[in-house]
Amino acid sequence: MKKRYGSLKQFFSDFYLVAVLIFLYVPILTMMVLSFNTSKSRTQWGGFTLRWYQQMLSDPGISSALYNTLLIAFLSALIACIIGTAASIAISSMKPVSATIVLGITNIPMLNADIVTGISLMLAFLAFGISLGFKTILISHITFNIPYVILSVMPKLKQTSKSTYEAALDLGAHPLYAFFKVVFPDILPGVLSGFLLAFTMSLDDFIITHFTRGAGINTLSTLIYSQVRRGIQPSMYALSTVIFLVVLTLLAISNYRPAPQKVRPGVDPAAAQTAAAREGKGRMPEKLQKGAMAIAAVLIVAAVGWVSVMKFLVTGSDELYVYNWGEYIDEEVIELFEEETGIHVTYDMFETNEEMYPIIEAGAVCYDVVCPSDYMIQKMVENDLLAEIDLKNIPNISQIDPTYLEMSRAFDPQNRFSVPYCWGTVGILYNTRRLEELGVEAPDSWSDLWDPALSGEILMQDSVRDAFMVALKDLGYSMNTTDVDELQQAKERLIQQKPLVQAYVIDQVRDKMIGGEAAVGVIYSGEMLYIQEEVEALKLDYDLEYVIPKEGTNLWLDSWVIPANAANKENAEKWIDFLCRPEIALRNFEYITYPTPNKGAFELLDEDLQANKALFPDIDSLEGSEVYRYLGDEDDGVYNALWKEVKSR
Amino acid sequence: MNRSLIDLKHITKSFDGTMVLDDLSLTVKENSFVTLLGPSGCGKTTTLRIIGGFDMPDTGKVIFDGQDITQLPPNKRQLNTVFQKYALFTHMTIAENIAFGLKIKNKPKTYIDDKIKYALKLVNLDGYGDRSVDSLSGGQQQRIAIARAIVNEPRLLLLDEPLGALDLKLRQDMQYELIRLKNELGITFIYVTHDQEEALTMSDTIVVMNQGYIQQMGSPESIYNEPENAFVADFIGDSNIVPGIMLQDELVEIFGARFICVDKGFGTNKPVDVVIRPEDIDLVEPGTGTLSGVVTHLIFKGVHYEMEVTTPDGFEWLVHSTDLFPVGRKVDIHVDPFDIQIMNKPASEDEEAIGVNE
Repeated sequence: MKKRYGSLKQFFSDFYLVAVLIFLYVPILTMMVLSFNTSKSRTQWGGFTLRWYQQMLSDPGISSALYNTLLIAFLSALIACIIGTAASIAISSMKPVSATIVLGITNIPMLNADIVTGISLMLAFLAFGISLGFKTILISHITFNIPYVILSVMPKLKQTSKSTYEAALDLGAHPLYAFFKVVFPDILPGVLSGFLLAFTMSLDDFIITHFTRGAGINTLSTLIYSQVRRGIQPSMYALSTVIFLVVLTLLAISNYRPAPQKVRPGVDPAAAQTAAAREGKGRMPEKLQKGAMAIAAVLIVAAVGWVSVMKFLVTGSDELYVYNWGEYIDEEVIELFEEETGIHVTYDMFETNEEMYPIIEAGAVCYDVVCPSDYMIQKMVENDLLAEIDLKNIPNISQIDPTYLEMSRAFDPQNRFSVPYCWGTVGILYNTRRLEELGVEAPDSWSDLWDPALSGEILMQDSVRDAFMVALKDLGYSMNTTDVDELQQAKERLIQQKPLVQAYVIDQVRDKMIGGEAAVGVIYSGEMLYIQEEVEALKLDYDLEYVIPKEGTNLWLDSWVIPANAANKENAEKWIDFLCRPEIALRNFEYITYPTPNKGAFELLDEDLQANKALFPDIDSLEGSEVYRYLGDEDDGVYNALWKEVKSR
Repeated sequence: MNRSLIDLKHITKSFDGTMVLDDLSLTVKENSFVTLLGPSGCGKTTTLRIIGGFDMPDTGKVIFDGQDITQLPPNKRQLNTVFQKYALFTHMTIAENIAFGLKIKNKPKTYIDDKIKYALKLVNLDGYGDRSVDSLSGGQQQRIAIARAIVNEPRLLLLDEPLGALDLKLRQDMQYELIRLKNELGITFIYVTHDQEEALTMSDTIVVMNQGYIQQMGSPESIYNEPENAFVADFIGDSNIVPGIMLQDELVEIFGARFICVDKGFGTNKPVDVVIRPEDIDLVEPGTGTLSGVVTHLIFKGVHYEMEVTTPDGFEWLVHSTDLFPVGRKVDIHVDPFDIQIMNKPASEDEEAIGVNE
């Protein structure tokens, strides 16, 4: 009986272990598998490939982010070690009461929420006029690393008898010599563990880095985060896989090395060290120790030197700071521009207009040229954040179809502040076979999204303006309305639709539709070319079609603008002019696949593409369509409140 | 021998508002063995640390061989210290520990090696050079600490309770070693301890300290036999301190009985404290002594018996004697005149702390 009970217990503990392993490692395994997937989709297996690894290795963004990450981690850990050790020594020589108080104060940053630390650091930098960049990340990382060093050095210092230091002085040693020769070897294990802890903390950090980084600086965490907008790139899976494997290997190595001599509990490690020394092993010979220190010193000097030389070279040449959406340019275009003009481009990305706005408003990072959307441009104009563009410097403006300049007037009445870059519509994407199975006609109106037969088959955009646009257009109202009555009706309409909706999502509409998970979804037209390619590549047995509902839709326009505080306005105009060249606009179109307002580029396209009504609808068919306008903070608040009501039902 | 090596002049030191040393002056002669003796907190270690340069006096001067070294940092002073907890460098071998000071002075390697060998021989630890600190016992570690100090050929060696952490037998052995070392090396020793026996055994001069003041200074014999106040009497060995009245020169009354003594100059009918060492009390048959009492307590101590004799006034006399008097026996107390030590009664606690020799 007992044995039986034992084996049952064994079974449960095994089961528990397996369950834990599955929970921990299935996500990582999924990511690793996807890093070898030919298809960009997160749900479809398109065959094995190493393409993403090649892309990762050849991506200068990733390698520079990796370099920044390691350099910041190393430097911040090192400097934090020096400051933290000095602080520990000072604290340990204080009176107990003040030591407790100071220790408490130094511990607070560690317990403080990262977001608070990050924002307050950013505000402090701005308040003191320090422009955000490499050095601000470094300072921030040093700041939050110091407590970890103090935490690991203090106990070692407490174990170290003060009299050994005095004994060294007594024997004629200079205080510094005494410290390095006598005290430091005793606290070295604490300093080293503090260094490793700080290094790891710095590698890990996203939030604080995110708030304190400036133009053109990415660490791995901010780089990965900035890919989120259009779905994380598979090369990021590859990178994450490599990072995971490297960490795993390091762990394995550090655990595999021969176990050290058994240390009796309570014996101080320094004593154990000397015990090991007696065995003639494990103790670093003095020469080796000196050598290691020398190498470390050389490395630090080299690293710091290199960074400053880089900075010097960078600031010494012609500059342009670009702030654009993620994956919104063919990177070769940047290189072409640099080659042709000799201007060095620092390229940064944002994910949403709302993220970009405060950065420009704060002025901590001076971008020269930015690519926001329609309503946001209006907001920036109203808040005097933009400089007028001198169109004389942009001869290629003639390549832009006047239709779009006309369209721009909705938010930039005299075409003084913006030059169109990409545009598009919002429409309904539908799965032909799925609709057939459900016995539903192909949609041509927003009201089709209220068809009870589509229960659980609808994907809506999870953003307030897009969702209300659908309801307002269905009701026949303007999508820029501020009439409370109309908005109330739209709210009721959305609540009515809610039971039919499978999910409110943003990016995932694309992948879910490709995966055949839903019958209809509200989507941006720019995704169409990618979706069609993917349907073909995966040899799916259903078609995905795009329709612009007959009531009209949101016409959106992303345009280049020049911030009022731009330092290199001439270069910014050169940049805008360069992007207006038909062959350059074509290259970008082929990469981004969002419709281009450049008529020269359009004329260079295949006839097939020119005739693709999803991408290039007849402007006439867009009757009733509008461009989003900035409604002002008050009305934005009304929209948000009503949207909250919808979501909470 | 008569030259003064260290002169402390009007040293005052306080920590966080607490006075530790108050206007302390002290002269240490060259080639002497001076012990600073006192209870913990009496200021003896602070005095040593001021001489060593680890603490700065608030006021006053430290004169070393005629030169003012008050502001000189410890690494510039021609003296070495042996610390209470040995303070060996645990990440170095024994030989590296001993060589530490010599390497700083850039002595040639052969000189250093010779010195290590010589020092290890001197402290009876020949061949221990390559051992690690942790492989040694407490007594061995302390001897290494001494070796590490003396290879630098200091003119003055400061020892801060160096034997405090050792057991009794080892402590006694080390006491002899220290005396031997001092005689062989001809260095001046300043030794700090709270152990009066250690002080009496080793020193040429004992400085008894309490509450930041020097209570008495002198040879071990004079300190023991002629304590100048109740504190010294009580701290050095066991003693009976009883209130008395000095009737006239060489006559004192204790509990109504008159004792002949040798002290003069206290005036007439003056209240005083009388110190009588337990071994100086002779117990005699009733009727033949000065004061009568009953034996109320008896312990065998090996060398002698320790007894308590209660006199009618209720005072319990501590008596050491090789003669046995069982509990309950009626006895008389007799004291020889030169064994009676008369002291002025302190008028206040402050005066008690300052002592009579200030």
